[in-house]
Amino acid sequence: MTSVMMTVLNIAIIAMTLSILIPMYAAWKDEDIWQTMLSMASISTKSSLIVLMLSVLRDDWMIGVSGVIMISVGNAGFMLLAHILKRMGEA
Amino acid sequence: MIEVLSSFCILVGLVFGFWGTSSLLGSRSVLFKLHNLSVSDTLGSISIIVGLLFLRPREWPLLLLAIISLMLWNTMLGYVLASCSSDAVKNQHDVLYFDPDFEIGDES
Repeated sequence: MTSVMMTVLNIAIIAMTLSILIPMYAAWKDEDIWQTMLSMASISTKSSLIVLMLSVLRDDWMIGVSGVIMISVGNAGFMLLAHILKRMGEA
Repeated sequence: MIEVLSSFCILVGLVFGFWGTSSLLGSRSVLFKLHNLSVSDTLGSISIIVGLLFLRPREWPLLLLAIISLMLWNTMLGYVLASCSSDAVKNQHDVLYFDPDFEIGDES
């Protein structure tokens, strides 16, 4: 990979990190649990994407595998949490 | 040429990323935000991964797995969040407006 592409990927990773700050602020600002869940779901997807970009940058595919696992496990965990919150709302 | 294409895909993904999350800051309903978020997160992430695929074609199995799991999981999570949050809001409405002691004609 050329140095130009490495620079592009570095800038993209920094931009992605900045774009994670928006849902973090939204999660901190909102009282409604469902808005917070939305923000956290966005944070989980974006952080797993940063991990994947890092694995391409470093050409280290153990990091890549963990990024893919984070995509699945992060979203699955939120699904379970959403059902728990719904049950708590009913109780 | 490949690098220009890859940079373009990554840029499109970043634009989607910022657009989706900026709707989180508004004061619209949960479902409106959820729609924006799941569309932009899913499409933006897939566009970025396609850009990465151009850079490392040798690792196509893993990146393809990432694309497929993103498509499945993000879509399912969006559906589950929508159904759970709308049920929760409905339950709150039922509790607020259903008064067991209220008799028809009881205007007080």
